[in-house]
Amino acid sequence: MGICTFAAIYIGSYEVSLKIFELSAKKKIRSVNHVRRRIELGRDAYSKGSIGYELAEALCDTLGEFTKMMKEYGADAYEAYASAVLRDAKNALFILDQIKIRTGLHVHVLSNSEHRFISYKSVAMRAEFEEMIQSGAAVLDVGGGGMQITVFVGGKVVTTQHLGLGTMRMQEQLSKTSSTLSQYQKQMEEMVEKELEVFQSMYLKEQQVQYMIIIGDYITELVRKVEKNHDENTVELAKFVRYLEKLGKKSLEEMCSDLGLSNEKDAFLIPYMMIFKCMARRMAQGRLWAPGVIVSDGIACDYAEKHNIYHAAHDFEDDILSAAKSLSKRYLSYSPHIDALASMSVQIFDAMKKCHGMGKRERLLLQVAAILHDCGKYISLADNPRCSYDIIMASEIIGLSHLERQIAANAVFYNTYPLVSYEELEDSMSKESYLVVAKLSAILRIANAMDRSHRQKFRDVRAVLRGKELIVTIETVDDIALEKALLETKKTYFENVFCIKLILKEKRIYN
Amino acid sequence: MENKKDFSNPKYYENRELSWLKFDERVLAEARDKTIPLLERLKFVSITSSNLDEFYMVRVASLKDMVHAGYKKKDISGMTAGEQLAKINERTRKLVDLQYSTYNRSLTPLMKASGICVIDAFEELNEEQAAFVDRYFDESVYPVLTPMAVDASRPFPLIRNKTLNIAALLTRKKGKETKETKEAVEFATVQVPSVLPRLIELPETNQEQRTFLLLEQIIEKNIDKLFLNYEVQCAYPYRIMRNADLTIDEDEAADLLKEIQKQLKKRQWGEVIRLEVEEKIDKKLLRFLKEELKVAEEDIFKISGPIDLTFLMKMCGLSGCDHLRYAPHLPQRVAGLEAGEDIFAAIRKGDLFLHHPYQTFDPVVDFIRQAAKDPDVLAIKQTLYRVSGNSPIIASLAQAAENGKQVSVLVELKARFDEENNIVWAKKLEQAGCHVIYGLVGLKTHSKIALVVRREEDGIRRYVHLGTGNYNDSTAKLYTDCGIFTCNEAIGEDATAVFNMLSGYSEPLSWNELVLAPIWLRKKFMKLIRREAKHAKEGKQAKIVAKMNSLCDEGIIAALYEASAAGVKIELIVRGICSLKVGIPGISENITVRSIVGNFLEHSRIFYFLNDGMEELYMGSADWMPRNLDRRVEILFPVLDKEIQKQVKHILEVELSDNMKAHLLQSDGIYEKIDKRGKVLVNSQMQFCEEAAKAAPKQNHVYSDRVFRPKESAE
Repeated sequence: MGICTFAAIYIGSYEVSLKIFELSAKKKIRSVNHVRRRIELGRDAYSKGSIGYELAEALCDTLGEFTKMMKEYGADAYEAYASAVLRDAKNALFILDQIKIRTGLHVHVLSNSEHRFISYKSVAMRAEFEEMIQSGAAVLDVGGGGMQITVFVGGKVVTTQHLGLGTMRMQEQLSKTSSTLSQYQKQMEEMVEKELEVFQSMYLKEQQVQYMIIIGDYITELVRKVEKNHDENTVELAKFVRYLEKLGKKSLEEMCSDLGLSNEKDAFLIPYMMIFKCMARRMAQGRLWAPGVIVSDGIACDYAEKHNIYHAAHDFEDDILSAAKSLSKRYLSYSPHIDALASMSVQIFDAMKKCHGMGKRERLLLQVAAILHDCGKYISLADNPRCSYDIIMASEIIGLSHLERQIAANAVFYNTYPLVSYEELEDSMSKESYLVVAKLSAILRIANAMDRSHRQKFRDVRAVLRGKELIVTIETVDDIALEKALLETKKTYFENVFCIKLILKEKRIYN
Repeated sequence: MENKKDFSNPKYYENRELSWLKFDERVLAEARDKTIPLLERLKFVSITSSNLDEFYMVRVASLKDMVHAGYKKKDISGMTAGEQLAKINERTRKLVDLQYSTYNRSLTPLMKASGICVIDAFEELNEEQAAFVDRYFDESVYPVLTPMAVDASRPFPLIRNKTLNIAALLTRKKGKETKETKEAVEFATVQVPSVLPRLIELPETNQEQRTFLLLEQIIEKNIDKLFLNYEVQCAYPYRIMRNADLTIDEDEAADLLKEIQKQLKKRQWGEVIRLEVEEKIDKKLLRFLKEELKVAEEDIFKISGPIDLTFLMKMCGLSGCDHLRYAPHLPQRVAGLEAGEDIFAAIRKGDLFLHHPYQTFDPVVDFIRQAAKDPDVLAIKQTLYRVSGNSPIIASLAQAAENGKQVSVLVELKARFDEENNIVWAKKLEQAGCHVIYGLVGLKTHSKIALVVRREEDGIRRYVHLGTGNYNDSTAKLYTDCGIFTCNEAIGEDATAVFNMLSGYSEPLSWNELVLAPIWLRKKFMKLIRREAKHAKEGKQAKIVAKMNSLCDEGIIAALYEASAAGVKIELIVRGICSLKVGIPGISENITVRSIVGNFLEHSRIFYFLNDGMEELYMGSADWMPRNLDRRVEILFPVLDKEIQKQVKHILEVELSDNMKAHLLQSDGIYEKIDKRGKVLVNSQMQFCEEAAKAAPKQNHVYSDRVFRPKESAE
C-alpha cells in the first residue's frame, strides 16, 4: 500500500488545530502541515457551562477552513476529536450538529481515558520512551481541562490518575479573585500543591522515578531556555525548578518575551508554569524530558495502528494489563488465583473463537475483568461484585475507553449476579456491548468456578471445541469435587449464552 | 576594558531624505555622462523628474503633516521635520537647477546635432508648422479643453494634483469694457489635457531632422480662441503638487497617525506643497496663483524650461533612433530551464538560481503555468505585491483554480500607487475561484514567495520559489533581482508555515530556515552582525558584505558601527538612501558604502557573513529600513546550495569591483566615482549581461529542414 494522507483535527480548550500527516509502512509518520488557531472555548465552557454563539461561530469557520486545507493536501482520511471542553459543555450536542451541517466534519468527543491514551501514544512512539520507562518515569500530560499523571516502573504502568487541574479551568476559577500577579501565582501554587500532595502520598510513595516526561504547551520553550544546547530537550529537574523560580519573579510581559512567545501577555503561561514547578519540585531528582509532541501526533498514530498502516514498538495492551494488575495489587486482591483465572479464561476464549464472534480487544477486556474480578473485597467481602464494579468504574486504566471500562466492570458484576434482561440496561449500553458483557461474564463464571478453592488444583487445562461441544480437559491430583459441583450450576448460563454444551473431562494424575 | 561609545549619537547619522536626494543626484549624473547614448541620458533626466515627484508626494507631504501636527520628535540625525524641510528645499532647488541646465545646455544641443529638435517657444515655428499646429489645436485639443475663469461669481477651481495647467491674465477687449472693468484684470486657467500626448511631432521639410512641440505650447499659441471676448495679457504653464495622498507614509505612522487623521479632516483638499512655474512668468499672475493656491514663497519653483520633464521618457522610445540608445536587452535563457521542459523535474535535480534581468523571468512564469496544468499539483500559494498589467501569472493562477487546484493568493492592496490596479485583478482571481487574502491588518506583505504542493509517488513534495523582486514580468526586465527554486523539505515546511500565518493561523512552533519580519528578522540580523563583531574581538577575521536598496535603520546602523569598531570589515552596496556615515574615526572606519546606478535598477538584497570561515549567505525582500523590519511581512532566506553560494558571492564580488557605475561614499557625505586610473574597467551590469549570454544554452535548431516529425510517446 502506498501513502495515506491523514488529517488530525483537535479541538482543545483554547486552541483548535489541524495537522496533516503522511502515514506509510516505510516512513511511518511524516508531518506535512500543522496549523493552529486560538479559540478559547474553555472560557465559556468552564465558566458558563455552555459554549456561546460567537465562539461556536468561530469554531465552525475555522473547521470550514480546515476542510479546505485538507483538500490542499489531498487528505484521504481524517479524525476530528474534541477534548474535555466539549465534554463539559451542556450544548455540545448542538454544536457537534452544527459542525456536521456546516462543514461536513464528524467530531468525536473524547472521553478522558481515550484522550489521555492518545496523547500518551504520541510520546510512546518516540524511541527514548522505552528506555526512560524502564528506569521509572512519570508522564505528566497537562491540558486546559485537566491533567493526567501516569507512573511507569520497570517499563510497566503502575498507576494513572486524572487530576482536575486544567490550566484553563484554574484560570477561570481564579481570575475573579486575584488582583496582582504575585498573589495570583501564590493562589495557584497553593491549589496545585494541595492536589499534588494527595497524589504523591497515595501513589508516589515508594516509586522511584528517574524521569519526568511532560506533555503540554510552553514546556518546550521553557526547557529550551534552561538548556541552551537543545538537541534532546531534556534538562535536570533541579535546574528547571531554579529557572522557573527566577522567571516567576518577572512581570508577565518579561516572561513572555524571555520565552519568545508570540502573545506578549500570555496569561496561560502562569498556570502551566505553576504545575510544572510544583511537580518538578516534588520529584526533585532526575531529569525532565519534553518530547514536544502534541495530541495530533497521537491521533495519527492511533489511526495508523487501527488501519494496520504500521505498528508502534511499544505494546499498549501490555500497559493495560499491567495497569489492571497494579490496580489489583493496590486493593490487595492480586494472588496466584488471579493469574490462574486469567489464563483459564483466555484458554476458553481462544478455544471458542469460532462461536463467540469476539476479537482481540474483547480478549483483552476478559483479562482485565479476570484480573479485577474480586478487587472489591478490599471494601466489602459480602458486596464484592458491586464494590469491584465501582472500583473499576472509578479507576483510570490507560488505554481503555470509557465504554470498554464499562464492559469490563459489568462483566465482573454479572460474574456473580444473574444477568438482567437487556431492557433494564438499555439506558447505559448498546445491544452490542450488552452481548459482550454477557459472553465475557459467562466465560468468567466458568473459569472462576474451576478455581473456586483458590488453590489452583488444576495442573493443566485444555479446552477444545468439537462440533457443538466445548470439551475442557483438566489434569489434577487433588480432589475437585467442589469445582465440579460448582461448574454444574454455572453451566446453564454459559450454555444459554453460547448455545454450546460444556463437558468437563477429568484426567487424574497419580504420582 | 572597553570604553563605552555612543553608537546612536545623531551626529553619526545622515538624514534619510537628504540621502535620498543624493541618490537622485546620482541618477542625474548618469544623464550627464557623455559616454552614454543620448536617448538613454534623456531617460535618466526623466527618471530624476518622476522620482522627485514621488518624493514630494510621499516624503515631503508626510514631513509637512508632521510640522502641522506639531510633531517634535527628531529623526535619527537629530533634525526636526521643519529643519528637514528647509534642507530639502535648498537641496531640491540645486537638483532642479542642475536638471534643467543639463537638459538645456548639454542635451538640447546634442539633440539638435542629432536632428531632434524640441521647439520651446511657438514663435519659432515655420509657416507650415504653424498651420499644422493650429489645425491640430482645432481638431484634437480644443474639444477636450475646459477653460475656467475666476471672478466674483466663480471661485478658484480645483487644480488637480500633478497636472500641467496654463494660467492666463485677461482683460476685456477694447470697446467692450465698462467703466468698472476698465482696469480689471481677470484670471483664467485651463488644464493641459492628460489624455493627449505631451509631445507632438511636427511636419519637417528637412528629412534629416525631426521637430517636436509640447502640447502646452500648442494651447498657448491658440489661447485667445478660448477667451473670445477677452484680450489675453499673458499665459504661462504651471503645475502643483498636493498633499492629497491620504495614505500616510508608514515610516512615521503609529502614534502619529491619529493626529494626522484629525488634520486631514480639517482640510477640504490637500494642501499645495509645491508650485512649479515658468521662470519668465508674469509677476502679477504669479502673485495671484500664490494667493489662490495658498502656497508659501519657499515652495515656489521657477523652472527654466519645460515643466515636468517626464515626457522625456517618451522621447527615449523614439522610433528610428536606435543608434542613439542601447540595443534592447534580451534576458538570457537559463540552462536546464528551457521553455517546455518539466520545471519540477529540473528542481528535483537541485536548487536553481536565477539572476534577473540578465537571465529571463520566464521560468518563474512557467513554474506557475505548469503547476496550473499538472494533474499531480494539489495547491498553489503565492504572494503578489506589484503585478504587471497583463500578467501571465495571474492568468495561470486563475486557470489553476478553474482546474480544481486549491489556489491561495495574498494580494497586497497597500502597494503604493498600485492600489486601483491591484483591486481589479484581485477581483478577477476571486471570480476564478481562488482564495484571495487582501493583505494583513497593519502590515504590508512585501515578501515574495510562491509555493506549489504536489502529490508524488513518495508523498507530498513542496516546490518553492523565493525571490528578492516582485512577481512582475515587466519590471523583471529592468530590475536586478535574484530568485531561487528549491524543493528542500525544510524550506518547504517553512513556506507552508508562512502561508499558514498569512491565512491567520498561529505562528508555527518552530522555523527551519526562513526568517520572517516583522517578528524575527530584526533579531536575526542583529545576531548575525554581532556574531561577526564577536569574531573580530576574538582576533578572527570578520567580514560583512550587504547589498540592498536603502539603509536607514538606527538599530542596524548602530550594530554595524559597533562591529566596525570591533574590527569587522564591512562592505555595503546601497543603491538609494544610506543614513550610515563612513570614515568616522573609531566608529565606521572599516565600513565602505558604494551605490551602483546603471541602466538597470539595482533591486536585489544579498547579505554575506564570513562567520569565521563558515560563510553564510542570505537573500530576501527586506532592506535595512524600519518599515521593512518592523511593519512588513518580509522573508529572508539562506542560500544553502554550494554552487549557488558561489554564484551569489560572485555577484557581490563583481559589484564590489565595479569602477564604472559605482559611486563611493566619502567621509564628507559626498558620493564620488571611483578613480579608474590604472585599473581594469568593470561595469558590473555589463559583465553580468555577458556572463549570462555565455552561460545560456546554445540554440540547437535555429535552422531546421521542413520535414514532418513523427511524434513519439512522451515517456
